[in-house]
Amino acid sequence: MIGWLDVPRDWLDSFGEVVGFGTRVAGLVFSGRVFRFFGEGLRQAGILIFGSAIVIWAFVLILGLQCGIQGAYFNRSIGAPSLAGLFSAYCDLREGVPYAFGYILAAKVGTGIVAELGAMRISDEIDALEVMGIQPVTFLAATRLLGAWIAIPFIYLVGIALAYLASYIAVVQQVGDVSSGGYSLIFWMYQSPPDVFFSLIKGMVMATVIVLVGCYYGYTASGGPVGVGTATAKSMVVNIILVHIIGMLGTVVFWGSNPRAPIGG
Amino acid sequence: MAGEAVARGARPVTEFFVQVGNLVLLTARTLLSAVRPPYPFGEELVDQLLFVLKLSWFPLIVSTFALNLGAPGLQAAGVLSLFGALDRLGGFFVLTAIRWIGPLVTAVVVAGVAGTAITADLGARKIREELDALQVLGVDPIKNLVVPRFLALIMITGLLDISAIVFGLSAGIAAELLYHQSLGGFFATLFSNATVVDLLASVLMCTMFGAIIAVVCCYKGMTASGGAAGVGRAVNQAVVIALVAVFFFQFVVTSVLLATNPELQSIR
Repeated sequence: MIGWLDVPRDWLDSFGEVVGFGTRVAGLVFSGRVFRFFGEGLRQAGILIFGSAIVIWAFVLILGLQCGIQGAYFNRSIGAPSLAGLFSAYCDLREGVPYAFGYILAAKVGTGIVAELGAMRISDEIDALEVMGIQPVTFLAATRLLGAWIAIPFIYLVGIALAYLASYIAVVQQVGDVSSGGYSLIFWMYQSPPDVFFSLIKGMVMATVIVLVGCYYGYTASGGPVGVGTATAKSMVVNIILVHIIGMLGTVVFWGSNPRAPIGG
Repeated sequence: MAGEAVARGARPVTEFFVQVGNLVLLTARTLLSAVRPPYPFGEELVDQLLFVLKLSWFPLIVSTFALNLGAPGLQAAGVLSLFGALDRLGGFFVLTAIRWIGPLVTAVVVAGVAGTAITADLGARKIREELDALQVLGVDPIKNLVVPRFLALIMITGLLDISAIVFGLSAGIAAELLYHQSLGGFFATLFSNATVVDLLASVLMCTMFGAIIAVVCCYKGMTASGGAAGVGRAVNQAVVIALVAVFFFQFVVTSVLLATNPELQSIR
């Protein structure tokens, strides 16, 4: 049975090790050593696109719908239904999509990596790689990070577009307090290209952290089939906390001192 | 030939419906065996309640505080400070902390932390054939394993939702303090806008999330197969299905709630 303080203690324990492992993997990518296995990196990018993109987009789409109706009804309650675009612009681009993206990426990609690498570790395949003279960290972890960096910016940008579409449907078609043109005017007025870029940075930092945490827990799994399951569950705990902390820090850094709104002085 | 191609193309669709059907069947059987005597699961229920609570309290506090401070707190306070109307943040927090983010973050944390642990636990038992052994001994796995987890998650998500709301509101207070505001305006707009309907809907919605998470995670754990890789894959699928189901369910519930309760939309 676990104690009351086990989760925070585990989290602190593994945090240092994850940072060490993560810098090592990122170093392998930046130093170019991963390009010996460039094909494997491309294959991992392909797996992300064909295996995970649909789920990620569906999730982000539902979030866009949610942003839309919450914004529409909230703006009705303050007596300014025509300003629903303001709420959904901020909700979609700045906060909602990064968080939803982080959740579903941790669930689909993060735990998927743990399950895959953990099974390899349990069946001694990672040791076999080492015997064959292939560096397992480079071949397994660094290629996955490279694949994520190749594929995820595009998945993320398409996700933003889908969330916009969903918010439009929810505000204009479902609730219908504001006309299509009136909604679009406010919606596009309250965002600018730097906002998209900041949001992308938020999402990419989350994606990098999630892939590295997944690789760490999969790579160090032990204790048979039970161990793989436990490692998968543990990676999710760490990922959820990190996603929220990154989201908050991103907001503070990018929009904390300046709301970047086209009004006021 | 053509029939074969159609069958192959329709396989994902068929599988989807088979899974949904199995989930509904498991839900029905769990509900039935929860109300039908005997009730042998008392001790296990208490164990599970403590287990979920011990796992979830730390991630929940950190997550709700961080999310509410960043998204509605600083982001909305930035815009409101342009209008010089920072006291209105309290009214906004009724929408975010109570109606939306409280239940949502509770569900995400419980699914990601407790749901995954439940699937890993049941999956390991399935792989080691303990579930079959239980059945041979005449012990019903649904009554003794699924029902206590189901009831524990329902109770605990409802209770955790309250603490999520409390920590969400304290994040709102922190945002006000960061902008050097007095808290009187925050509390005045908060209490004049908050309604009992909102709070009840939030807690009830969250208990439903608990039910969804419990059924999905137990189902995936009890049908795990294929050795070490199988348990990991079961956890992966369980958490994805639970999250998508929860998000979709919340969208439907919020649409219905807001459309049918005009008193939530009046200006105060």
